[in-house]
Amino acid sequence: MPEQSPDSGEEIVRTLVADEQRHDLPADEPSLLIAAVEAGPEIAHNRRRRKGLGIGAWLAIIWISLLLFSAIFQPLLVSTGVIPDPEAQELPEISGTGEALVVAQPPSLGHLMGLNPRGEDILSLVIEGSRRSLVIGFVSVFLGFMVGGFLGLLAGYFKGRTGGFIGSLLDILLAFPQLILALFVVEVLGHTVTNVTFALAIVSTPVLARIARASSLSWSEREFVVAARAQGAKHRRVLWREVLPNTLPAMLSIALLGVAVVIVAEAGLALLGAGVAPDLVTWGNIIQTGVPELKDSPHIVLAPSIVIFLTVLALNYLGDVVRARFDVREAAL
Amino acid sequence: MRMILLKLLRLVVVLLVVSFLTFWFGKLIGGNNDLVAKMIPFSSEQEKDRVREQLGLDKPFFTQYGSWLTNFARGDFGELYTGTGKNVTSVPVSEIVAKRLPVSLELMLSAQLLALAVAVPLGVFSAYKANSKFDRGANMTMFGLLALPPFVVALVLAIYLGAQWQWLPTQSDLPNFPLNPLENWRYLLMPTISLALAQMAIYMRLLRSDMIATLQEDFITTAKAKGIPPHRVLFRHALRPSSLTLLTVAGLNVGALIGGAVVIERIFKVPGIGGQLAASILSGQFIQTQSIVLLIAVFYVVLNFAVDILYSVLDPRIRHARAIA
Repeated sequence: MPEQSPDSGEEIVRTLVADEQRHDLPADEPSLLIAAVEAGPEIAHNRRRRKGLGIGAWLAIIWISLLLFSAIFQPLLVSTGVIPDPEAQELPEISGTGEALVVAQPPSLGHLMGLNPRGEDILSLVIEGSRRSLVIGFVSVFLGFMVGGFLGLLAGYFKGRTGGFIGSLLDILLAFPQLILALFVVEVLGHTVTNVTFALAIVSTPVLARIARASSLSWSEREFVVAARAQGAKHRRVLWREVLPNTLPAMLSIALLGVAVVIVAEAGLALLGAGVAPDLVTWGNIIQTGVPELKDSPHIVLAPSIVIFLTVLALNYLGDVVRARFDVREAAL
Repeated sequence: MRMILLKLLRLVVVLLVVSFLTFWFGKLIGGNNDLVAKMIPFSSEQEKDRVREQLGLDKPFFTQYGSWLTNFARGDFGELYTGTGKNVTSVPVSEIVAKRLPVSLELMLSAQLLALAVAVPLGVFSAYKANSKFDRGANMTMFGLLALPPFVVALVLAIYLGAQWQWLPTQSDLPNFPLNPLENWRYLLMPTISLALAQMAIYMRLLRSDMIATLQEDFITTAKAKGIPPHRVLFRHALRPSSLTLLTVAGLNVGALIGGAVVIERIFKVPGIGGQLAASILSGQFIQTQSIVLLIAVFYVVLNFAVDILYSVLDPRIRHARAIA
């Protein structure tokens, strides 16, 4: 390092550098999870790339397609009798004394995920619930992506006052514990699917914005961006044509992970008794109804939990594959 | 120094906006037109009127906000009103917080310690044997753990360890730590594991990828060439620079988890601050909600600030640059 006089300007520059590095660190639960998923096995990925997608990615794609298919065609599946009607209740057997026997049944061939105490088939409840849970997951991340991605893009490109202002805005939103903020919004607006989606979109906005900001920041310093500016391109054009297309692949990967986080958050809200109204079936609500029956019929809780686990796993895996495919640093190796 | 002052100024502004939003949101959850009716629905009108007067709810919004904020700064978090009929009683929120915050902190710290105790050796060894069978196995397991939501772990533990095999207590009162440490520990074991598993996976993967990068640096090659034994190179030379990110993240995470453990606290009925907060939002206890949310937010923002300052002090690149200058 050349010898320079330690003036305060240099001090500020140095602290700013530290600031940027610090701000790339995940400071909240969701982005921490995302960072951990993205901290992939550097060496294993290179090998996988040569062989195409790999079996794991295909399994993940098959699982997600299966979910989407059954969610979209649920009415058709019910009317053709492939799965039982979620509303239909298997009538309880009446014992000699006239008392209804317990109808919660463990999984069997007739009912792959068993029955709940009301005699409803859990598999068809899970499929009906997936319609709401997946919509909540995808739509709220889409909304958070639009608003947060835009804010992050701007904050990373215009580092000065605009960046600082957006940064403070995000700090304010992140100061509230995420799940509590969502609980707040749902409690005030009402327990509908739309409001839960909206609440989780608000919560995911600052998280996605921070990640977009880091990505936009690193691309904005590249030579081709500087060159475009030097040629007299307008900010809007540089942002739209140079920075945005480069940040998109990474952001797409983050969005997939975000959907997984939101699906878990929906279930978390339901477990607090603060999600979508209990008479509407979602994955979280099915689990919530099973909690009092933990001891005698654990399958009510376990079946939807396993479905959530597999979905999150598939989304995480796909997110990781997308990141590895587009990661320029790794591709250059 | 100027930079720190600027950041401090920003911190104060952020906190002021956060406190205003908290106050406003709190009023909204109360239903806005009749906050007291939602808070003590079964009390007589006279009692409700008395409480209304006590709270000064007829005063302008900003006057109420101002007095709430000054009281909060003095450590007076307002009162929690409960009761039916004529017997409306009130408990200071600060008393409830003093009882419940330590429980949450204990849970948080034990989860962090458990997570780090497993993640650090595993991460170091995986990085050392990068791409070996062990590394791939550990990495895959941790990737799976990342997809396991804490509440699923909690429910599975509650089903088997708690309900069916009855090894560990559920749904009882939390035994006092100084009086009965063993029972207290047994009680908190399941919530601790539920929280720790996901954290463990996060820390292990972050540390591993950091370590792999560090192990490729020149000073590691030098250390190895000098004939320093591998375990010393790993834990003395490589772990230190790699653990900076990990420690920062773990520190920030304590702040995030204080409010983030709500679901786990609820499942195991742990008398912590998160469960109390969720319950108070759902029952329209707006005073308690406002104060606890602001308390958690202040804790989180100040912790962030401290980590921010510490990070620039600790990062060797910055520290050394300063020393040379």
